[in-house]
Amino acid sequence: MSAQKRLTTLFSRYAVVIIFVIITLVAIPPSGLSIKYIVQEIITRLGRNSFLVLALLLPIYAGMGLNFGMTLGAMAGQIGLIFAVNYGIANWQGLVFALLVGLPIAVLLGSIAGLVMNRAKGREMVTGYILAFFINGIYQFFVMYMLGSVIPMRNRAIVLSRGYGIRNTLNLESVRQSLDNIVMLRVAGYTIPLVTFIIIALLCVFVVWFKKTKLGQDMRAVGQDMAVAEAAGIPVEKTRIVAIIISTVLACAGQIIFLQNMGNLATYNAHDQTGFFAVAAILVGGASVTHASIVNVFVGVMLLHAMFVVSPLAGQNLFGSAMIGEYFRQFIGYGVIALSLVLYAWRTRRAASDARLGLHGPQNDSVKGNGGQP
Amino acid sequence: MNDTVTTKSAPQSKKRRRLVQGGLLVVYILIMVLMVLTGRRHTILIDNKDAPDGSYSAIDGMEVSIDNQESAEYYPGDRDRALVQGQRHTIQVTIFDDNTTIEQEFTVPLWSDMMIISVPKLVAGIEPWIEPFTMAEQIQEAQESGPPSGEMSFQSLGGVAPEEIELMQPIP
Repeated sequence: MSAQKRLTTLFSRYAVVIIFVIITLVAIPPSGLSIKYIVQEIITRLGRNSFLVLALLLPIYAGMGLNFGMTLGAMAGQIGLIFAVNYGIANWQGLVFALLVGLPIAVLLGSIAGLVMNRAKGREMVTGYILAFFINGIYQFFVMYMLGSVIPMRNRAIVLSRGYGIRNTLNLESVRQSLDNIVMLRVAGYTIPLVTFIIIALLCVFVVWFKKTKLGQDMRAVGQDMAVAEAAGIPVEKTRIVAIIISTVLACAGQIIFLQNMGNLATYNAHDQTGFFAVAAILVGGASVTHASIVNVFVGVMLLHAMFVVSPLAGQNLFGSAMIGEYFRQFIGYGVIALSLVLYAWRTRRAASDARLGLHGPQNDSVKGNGGQP
Repeated sequence: MNDTVTTKSAPQSKKRRRLVQGGLLVVYILIMVLMVLTGRRHTILIDNKDAPDGSYSAIDGMEVSIDNQESAEYYPGDRDRALVQGQRHTIQVTIFDDNTTIEQEFTVPLWSDMMIISVPKLVAGIEPWIEPFTMAEQIQEAQESGPPSGEMSFQSLGGVAPEEIELMQPIP
């Protein structure tokens, strides 16, 4: 492979990461923020968001793309938190209670999502996105009407004054940072929520272990080629459903971790952007629709949130309006997803074109260039 | 031979699986119950006021702490709150006059959100010194017994939440 072609391949593979690093580095000086502040913010946001982004890995391994349907799990987690606040269960016990309430809902929603996605093979991402809108309608109905009317609520403070439905914003003071504050490590002037990071590390260990299990291997086989996996006797549809269920359950736990760190819950729209930001983060980290790793998760969360921290102030200082930075944030988020999908489509088409060319004559370049590595 | 073993073991493994699933469900529910029991938060109002009938009088000065939380000083007419988690708790009262310390254990009913401890009653040994407290009931009682006296104040509770204001409005 020629040096130019190698450079093009490298750039096309890591274009999003490279662009992001450049934008963030350029935005740091005009933001006026100290490096210490930015690092502390990134540590906090790593604890807050990593679990949610890790939830995206298994569906990618199973060849189902980026699971925009993880919003379903986020909704389940929110329902769990509403019940924890309703029954006045505080501290980490409130979080465990919320998880136990949300878990069966997440499993149910995950299996529904899996079943639907099996009917839409090859279009899982858009199906998940639209499914999230559909389930959002049911969630709104449940929270806005059922809670307080059909399901009695003990805590009148969280119910709307009309007697049913939950207030727009829920104060999670009783569980606020209860996981982070169990052990707050102070190292070189930085505060690190140790227990949160231990939980994230355990999830990473689970992902690595899971990939080596029979089910994990099946998932990868299904992700590589469904027809071959089916011929090999792997229950393709069941494996795909399991991948989505695990992802939804992890998203449920991830949303609980996210919200306990934030300290309040926007009842009707906190979950709206969950999938979007998680997907943006993993793509910024260098993942694609078909390939992702744990490293992509952490690199992505750090880069995306570094930009989220600096862009409003950079916008304020450069253009005199913090809103410019906010618009920039939204624009970058959607832009990253669009760019990644375009690059993925372009790479796929180019690979197909290369393969076609290979049929016409010997093309040993690629084999030599790879050094024989897969 | 193998067929016989398979047909015999299949229902057994199915039964075992159901037992395991049932056991897991029980454990799941038990953890939930445990979280409710250990995690439920209650508000304890600590009250230092005279009895309306004069049967006991407020303590001149004291320090009160619950479950080794940060202690607070109380003078006649004071009322403050503490947040506790779980059912069993200990209250420690140190009276300034004679420097005596009284320690007393108490339990809070699981589904009671707010309890009021009358420290003068506790010190005088008058039962019950801990009672459930409902804001709406208190307001109703106060209104029935005439205009509120200067001593009855909820300001020390840290402000009334808007939801509570909404609850108060329908009461004539």
